[in-house]
Amino acid sequence: MDLLAKELVYQPGSEFHLDSMSFGMKKGEIYTLLGRTLSGKTTLLKTIAGLIQPDSGRVLFEGKDLNSIPVWKRNIAMVYQQFINYPHLNVYDNVAFPLRQRAISDNELRLRVSDAIERVGLKDFESRRIQELSGGQQQRVALARSLAKQAEILLLDEPLVNLDYKLREQLREEFSKIFTSEYSSDSILIYSSTDPMEAMQLGGETIVLDEGRILQQGPASEIFENPATTRVAEITNDPAMNLLSGEIAGSKVIINSKMSFDIPIHFRNLASGQYTFGIRASDIALDKKGYPFNVELAEISGSETFLHAKNENVSLVGQLDLVKNFNVGEKVNLHLDSQKLYAFGLDKNLASSPFKELARG
Amino acid sequence: MRKLYITLKYLFIGLWSMFVVAPFLWALSTSFKDFNSVTGGATYIPWVDFEPSLEGWKVLLRSPAQGGVNIVEPYFNSIAVTCLASFISIFLGTLAAYALSRFTFKASFIKNSDITFFFISQRIMPPIVLSIPFFIMLGKLGLLDSMLGLIMVYVVLLMPIAVWIMVDFFNKVPKEIDETALIDGCNPYQAFYKVVLPNSIPGLIVAGMFCMIFGWTDFFFAFILTFTEVQLLPVAIVALNSSITPWWSLSASALVSVAPLIVVAFIVERYLSKGNLSGALK
Amino acid sequence: MNFKHKYLFLLPGLLVLIGILIFPVGFTVRLSMSSWDSFFPGLDYVGLENYFRIFQEDSRFWEAFGRLSFLSVTTVTLQYVLGFALALMVWKDIAFKRFFRVLFLIPMMTTPVIMTVIWKTFFHESLGPVNDFLNIFGWNPLWLSSEILSKITVIIVEVWQWTPFMFLLLLAGLLSLPKEPYLAASIDGAGPYRTFIYVTFPLMAPISIGAIIIRLIEASKIMDTVYVLTSGGPGTATETSSFYIFIKGLREFQFGYSAALSFTYLIIMIISLTIIAKVLVRLMIRDN
Repeated sequence: MDLLAKELVYQPGSEFHLDSMSFGMKKGEIYTLLGRTLSGKTTLLKTIAGLIQPDSGRVLFEGKDLNSIPVWKRNIAMVYQQFINYPHLNVYDNVAFPLRQRAISDNELRLRVSDAIERVGLKDFESRRIQELSGGQQQRVALARSLAKQAEILLLDEPLVNLDYKLREQLREEFSKIFTSEYSSDSILIYSSTDPMEAMQLGGETIVLDEGRILQQGPASEIFENPATTRVAEITNDPAMNLLSGEIAGSKVIINSKMSFDIPIHFRNLASGQYTFGIRASDIALDKKGYPFNVELAEISGSETFLHAKNENVSLVGQLDLVKNFNVGEKVNLHLDSQKLYAFGLDKNLASSPFKELARG
Repeated sequence: MRKLYITLKYLFIGLWSMFVVAPFLWALSTSFKDFNSVTGGATYIPWVDFEPSLEGWKVLLRSPAQGGVNIVEPYFNSIAVTCLASFISIFLGTLAAYALSRFTFKASFIKNSDITFFFISQRIMPPIVLSIPFFIMLGKLGLLDSMLGLIMVYVVLLMPIAVWIMVDFFNKVPKEIDETALIDGCNPYQAFYKVVLPNSIPGLIVAGMFCMIFGWTDFFFAFILTFTEVQLLPVAIVALNSSITPWWSLSASALVSVAPLIVVAFIVERYLSKGNLSGALK
Repeated sequence: MNFKHKYLFLLPGLLVLIGILIFPVGFTVRLSMSSWDSFFPGLDYVGLENYFRIFQEDSRFWEAFGRLSFLSVTTVTLQYVLGFALALMVWKDIAFKRFFRVLFLIPMMTTPVIMTVIWKTFFHESLGPVNDFLNIFGWNPLWLSSEILSKITVIIVEVWQWTPFMFLLLLAGLLSLPKEPYLAASIDGAGPYRTFIYVTFPLMAPISIGAIIIRLIEASKIMDTVYVLTSGGPGTATETSSFYIFIKGLREFQFGYSAALSFTYLIIMIISLTIIAKVLVRLMIRDN
């Protein structure tokens, strides 16, 4: 492990921003910090950068304790979610700024700056002032500056969150290309995001954060397929995974008096008793033979409709693959794909997933 | 209804403009009068109401030996003291304001806001409260009637203004800019002068203007703490006001003293129009 | 952020300020416990005697303080109302906008004491233009020597001098207001009056409070104007706290007593300004 965090604690007020956090990271890998707002992502990145001194715990890089090294002597680059550049400098000078802080020959400096600017596609904008650029271009400048530095640790704090939808999609694709194909294998890249899609797209290792703690760590696909707890299941899905409490009784899954169905095959090892069942919004579909629900709210987004519906004590969000107007109070029949059902025990830990049978007896 | 509103608006603007201009016009007219034109009752238009005389203006340039007041030296004294004190106040005030805006200070119950209040609260002290002990202190230090002594006092007067404006300004500059500079390899001083200062020019100009205004217009400290060596402009002008009030030279000197600050008014307005000032004032 | 460098930013200014002030303030406190005057110069120790005198015998000080409160509250209120009105008028496009903005700023650039000399001739009861004009109607008001009118004269001069300061702060505030609330108000069909009450005024509340407090601080020091215009007279009609302290200290040379007055005054000012600030915040910033 090249970057090690040991029991980091940071508690500026009454709430923990970092609650005894430990992890290890290797050079040449991409890590995604996935968590809701205020889950501690930014605090963790700033702690690694040295902008925040943790109350206790240590960060080690290649065996050296970083706590004693001030920010400006660490070999780190960071891109913020706000488009942060130096407003008084033009694009070229912005990108060259970190290199001019070091003893680098003029030739190499020029080469590295031009290369970085070209990689983010701003070749013709070198002498522009920052204020003349669009938000997306400003963020490209920030990225170019961090690339030119060729730092050993590159931190990206939700770099796309403040861009509009289309630009975000486009930049996300470009970013992952730059990172996966060209970014050097001597560095660690840490990318924070609230968007599970981003984690999937970047691949690499995903670390799920909540309330300053690491809930789960592993390859993105593994976390998506087998969320360790109900909280992870909520965080790693957008919209959050629907959680329904119910029970397994013999060969039946019972949600409430009106909703029960035969036990799916991957639940066969589960003992009878109380469980929390999880189902993704995308695994819910309109079906005449389904359970009756009342529409509470419907939002159309692109080619999909998000339907909030209720059956007695059960509230669900369904992600329907169609564009249709629903009236509030309208009756609909919804089918829950039981083959895609997750089961979590009373301790909120995963008991069985469609991809893996875990619990026994 | 709308017409009435617009009429009232221009009426108000017109009346206020007259109110603003009236004392200046009166001073302009008076500056060309002599003893007889003044004591004969209020008159306004030269040649029509009274015979103009340049006596009031000539007195300003004559040396005291010839019965005049040399206003040139006090003029330059005022400029020097105001500029130097403003510069020192802005320099120290900006550094302190940056610290108060960016870093957290804590010593038992004292926090950043208390330190900021301490700076600004210096303005609450009326000049009279400080003038006697300052008189004694500068006397002991041998700095009475010296430029250095006056500058010391003016720094106390002006630094609170610089801190007040600059704390507010820095609070509106995203701290992520400084953080990026630190990450990019600047130590805190380099981050301050390479990145923060170049982006704070509007704030510095506004703070500078305010310091100049308050320094230039002070009378009381200059009146108490200087005698003959370093006479400042306001003191020199008020000193004209002896047994017989020479309205003509007083008026002329008043107009002369206002002149340089009219330039300041134009600069302030220019920044206001560009919207730069709004970021610097709250 | 937290670095040990932070002290090197803060301390130079703080230490210079404290360094210059520590002697004057400390000396004032010590002086206030002595009976130093022109007959017995010297730092003797009389305890809190001077303070007892202020609270038990000196009704003139409290009257001066009452007058100061009246003058500063009146002038600052007038400055705020007029400054806000002027700022609103040259905020949006009007003819010669920039000309009027510069014109309205000019009085604050002038030295109060010098302009007051001009105002004194302006309001001169027999030779000034004001009474020259009013004589047409057969009036001859005593601007400088009547008890009530002399206060009004002081107020007029103060309003002339410092309304521009209020105007500048409020105009800067208006120019930095966000545009969205106005868009929303116009979509809701709000007229100019309602827009002002529900959008502009609430948005300007924090700036207004700041401007009023700063002006109150400055106005409470009122001294130059009174010194030149009326010398506190007629009688004590325009005598303010600063001027009274000035008379005790530098006219009658009761240094010890004037130091006690200064210190009492400072404490009262700090307490009352804090209370005023709290009240203003409560009055002007309603929930929502």
